[in-house]
Amino acid sequence: MTFRQFAYRNVVRNRRVYAAFFLASVFSVMVFFLYSMLMFHPGLGERFITGITVVGMTAADIILYVFTLFFLFYSMRAFMQARAGEFALLLQIGMERRQLGRLLFLEMLLLGVASIGSGIAAGFAFSKYFFMIVRELLDLPELPLYVSWQPFALTAGAFLSLFLLIGFLSSWIVRMRDINEYRKGIGASADPFGYSAAKAAAGLLLLIGAYAAALFAGRVNVLYLAVLLPPAATLGTYYFFSHTVLWLIDLMRKRKSIYWRHARLVSFAETAVKIKDNANMFFIVAIVSTVAFLSVGTLASLATYTAQYRALNPLGLVYLSQPDNPDEQAHITSLEKELKQRGLAYEEVRLTVVREQSSYSGQPLNVLRESEVNRLARVLGREGIRLKPGEGAFLPYSPDAASKLKGAEIDTVLEGSGVEVAVRGTMKEMLFPAYALGTNSIVLSETDFIKTASAHADRMYTFYAFDVPEWEETVGIGLRLSGLMSQASLDERPEDLSFYFENPGSDYAVIRSTFHLLLLTGLLVAAVFLLAAGSFIYFKLYTMLDRDRRQAAVLKRLGFTDREFVKIVNRQLVPQFFLPWGLAMLHSTFAFLSLQAIWKDLADLSIVKEMALVLVAFTIIQLLYFYLIRWRYLAHIRGPV
Amino acid sequence: MPIVQIEEVIKIYEGKVTHRALDRLSFEVEDGEFLAVMGPSGSGKTTLLNLISGIDRPTSGHIRVAGTDPSTLKPDEAARFRRQELGFIFQDFNLLRMLTVEENIVLPLTLEGMPIKEMDARMRAVAKRLGLADILHKRPDEISGGQEQRTAIARALVHRPSLVLADEPTGNLDSHAAREVLDLMATINRENGTTVVMVTHDPIAASYCDRVLFIKDGAYYNEIHRDDRRRTFFQRILNMLSLLGGNVDDLSSVRLP
Repeated sequence: MTFRQFAYRNVVRNRRVYAAFFLASVFSVMVFFLYSMLMFHPGLGERFITGITVVGMTAADIILYVFTLFFLFYSMRAFMQARAGEFALLLQIGMERRQLGRLLFLEMLLLGVASIGSGIAAGFAFSKYFFMIVRELLDLPELPLYVSWQPFALTAGAFLSLFLLIGFLSSWIVRMRDINEYRKGIGASADPFGYSAAKAAAGLLLLIGAYAAALFAGRVNVLYLAVLLPPAATLGTYYFFSHTVLWLIDLMRKRKSIYWRHARLVSFAETAVKIKDNANMFFIVAIVSTVAFLSVGTLASLATYTAQYRALNPLGLVYLSQPDNPDEQAHITSLEKELKQRGLAYEEVRLTVVREQSSYSGQPLNVLRESEVNRLARVLGREGIRLKPGEGAFLPYSPDAASKLKGAEIDTVLEGSGVEVAVRGTMKEMLFPAYALGTNSIVLSETDFIKTASAHADRMYTFYAFDVPEWEETVGIGLRLSGLMSQASLDERPEDLSFYFENPGSDYAVIRSTFHLLLLTGLLVAAVFLLAAGSFIYFKLYTMLDRDRRQAAVLKRLGFTDREFVKIVNRQLVPQFFLPWGLAMLHSTFAFLSLQAIWKDLADLSIVKEMALVLVAFTIIQLLYFYLIRWRYLAHIRGPV
Repeated sequence: MPIVQIEEVIKIYEGKVTHRALDRLSFEVEDGEFLAVMGPSGSGKTTLLNLISGIDRPTSGHIRVAGTDPSTLKPDEAARFRRQELGFIFQDFNLLRMLTVEENIVLPLTLEGMPIKEMDARMRAVAKRLGLADILHKRPDEISGGQEQRTAIARALVHRPSLVLADEPTGNLDSHAAREVLDLMATINRENGTTVVMVTHDPIAASYCDRVLFIKDGAYYNEIHRDDRRRTFFQRILNMLSLLGGNVDDLSSVRLP
C-alpha cells in the first residue's frame, strides 16, 4: 500500500466522517457554479446596464469566493479537531509530522476534486430549474439552457485554487502541533464560563449605544454616525458572542431557583459550551448576515422606485431635432406610426427652442416660448405660467430644482439678440428632464421670444414631447433611433447626429431589470451565507457527535425522558441558529431606521415593506433549516453509541 | 423481601450472528445487600445491568426491581423509574464536563422539581459524607480520578435510590483511589442500608461485597458469601475465578484518551 493509497482509503472508507465536510463543499461549489452560469449567460447581455451589472456580479463573485475560503478553512479546523484522536494514533505508531501533513494535503486534494466534480454536476443538473426561477423573477421572455466552457472553467479553477490553499494550510497547521496536544484533544474548551466581565459589559454597552445612536440619526449627524457606528457595532457584536452571552448565562447560573430546574442545568451549560466554542463563527455569521440583509433590502427598495422615476420623467417620448436635421419629419412620422400600431394613446406637443447665450452667466441658455410651454403644461395636467413682456422664468429640470430656483431673480441680456430679460422665479412644476435640453432653460413671453427667434433663424431647435399615459408600454418604440444613437456614441462621433431621442419607458425597463438582477445576485449571496452558516453548525455538531452521544447515553441512564432530552437539544440548537440571526436582524433593523432618515429625502420611498418581506422570507428559510438539522442531529444522537 | 428478582431471564441479540447474552439466569438481591457480579469478558454482565435499569428488555423471563417490572414500562415511565429508584456509577465516571461537582451531584434532583433548599441540603449532606465539600465549585477537569468517582457516587446517592448499579467502578482508578472508593461504598451500604449491585473484574473490589455471584456465558455459575475475614474471602474468590477459567483478570483494553 503506497502512501497515496493510504490517503485514498482513509477518505473512502471513513465516508461518514468526511461526509459533512464533503457535502458542505459540494454545496458551495454548486452555488458558485449556478452563479457563473448566470453570469456568462449569452441572453443576459443586452437587457441590462452592463457596467453596473458587471461590477455587481464581480463583487458578489469575490465575496462568495472569500467567504467560501473562510468557510472551508473553518470547517477544516473543526474537522481536524474531531480527528485529534486519529492523529495521535498515527503519530504514536511512528508517522512523521511531515508525513501527517502530506496525508492531510492529499486527503484535502481528493476531497476537493471530488466535491468540484459533484458540485458542478449537481449545479449543471439544477441549472435549468434555476434559469426558470430567474426568468420569472427578472421578467425575461426566455432564458434557455446553454453550454459553454466558461462557467465550468471558472468554477473548477476557483475551487481548485481554494482547495490547494486549504490543503497547504491544513498540512502546515497539522505539523505545528505536538503529539501530546492531539492526545489531549484540541480545543476541548476548558472553562465554558471563562469570560471577562468588563468585556461582556463593554459588548452590551456598545450595542445599546450604537442602537440608540442609530435611532437619533438625522440628516446632520448621519455622516459621523456612518463612520462611527459600524465599527462600534462590529466590536460590540464580537464581545457579545465571546463574552456577553456567557456572562448572561453565568448570571442565571448563579440563581439556583432558575438554574436548578428540570433540564436547564444541562441545557444552559451545554449552550454556554457550544457558544464559547463557536463564538468567532457566530460573530462572522452575524456580521455577514447583517451586510447581506442590508444589501438585499437596499436593492429591493431600489427595484421598486417607479413613482420616483415617473416624477423625474413625466414625458412618454422625447425627440429633439437640430436645425439642420434632414430626417426630422421621417423620424417623427415613424414614431407616431409605432405608437399607433401599439394602440397607445398619446398627445404630441411641438416646442421651438432657441439656443442663446446669457450675459449673466456666460453659459448657453435655452429659450422657449410661453404659449408652447403652456400647451405642454396643459397636456401634462400641470400648472402653466403667465409672463409680461421683458419677464422670464426658469424651467426647472427636477422637482428639487423647482423649489431651489423659486425665489431666483436674475437680470440678463441674451447676447445673440440683445433682448433684455428679468428672470423672476420658475415654473411651478418640472415639465421635462435635464437630459434633452440641459439644465439651463428659460421661458420667455411671446413678444420677447419672437424677437429672439428672428435673430436666430439658424439656431432653432424643435423639441417634440410625447405624452403617453401608459408610459411603461413604450418599451421598444424608436428602437432604430436608439440604435443610431448608441452607434454614434460607440464611434465616438456624437456630434454627427442631428437629433436626440429618449424613450423613458424603455430606459426604465432596463434599469428595473438591472436592479432585479442585482437583487437576485444579492439574494443568492445571502442564501449562500445562510446555508453555509447552517451547514457549519451541522458540521460542528457532527464533529462533536461522539462526545454528545456518550453524554446522551449517560443522561438516558440518569433518567432523562425523551422529551426532556429533545428539550435540551432544542435549547442548545436554537441559540446557535437564531442568536447570530436575531442579532443580524436587530443590526439591520436599526441600520435601516437610521437610513430611513436620509432615504426619505434622497428618494421619496418607504423601504419598510420591502425590508419586512426580505426578513420574513429569510426567517422562514432559516426555520426550515433548523428543523431539518435538528431532525438529522436527533437521529444521529439517538443511534447506537 | 428481595429488592431485585431475576427469574429465568434470557436475552438474545439478533444480528448477523445471533448471540445469547443471558441464558436462563435467575437470582435475587436482598434489600440492603452489597452484591458483586463477576464473570469473564462477554459473560453478559453489562447486559444484566441494562435489563435491570430498563434500558433493554429481556427476550423472555421476569425481572422485578423495587416492585416494578422495568421491561413493562413505557420509555418515559422507564426514565422516571430510573431517576427515582436507581443510581448509576460508571467505569469512566461519566460526569458532565461542563457542570461543576455541585451541579453534577444535584442533577438527578433537578429533574424531580424538588425545592431548591431541599436540593441544596441533600447535596451538601452527601458531599460532606464523600469528602467533596471543598471542591464543590470545581469542574471535572480540575479534580483527580478518585474525586471524580466520588462525585459520581454522590450523584448516584443524592436522590436516595432503592438500588445503586455500579459498572466496574474502580476500572479507571489507581489502587489507592480504588480502595478509597470501595471503602466508601461499603460504608454507605452498611450505614444507610443502600442496596448495591456491582459488576466487576477485580477480585479485590469483589472482596468488599457481601456476596459474589459468578456468571459464565450468560448463565448462573456459582456464588460465594462473605465470611468474617476479608483475606480468606478474597482467596476464595480467586479460587473460584481459576475454576471459572477464561480471562477474568483481563485488563480492560488499553484506551487512548
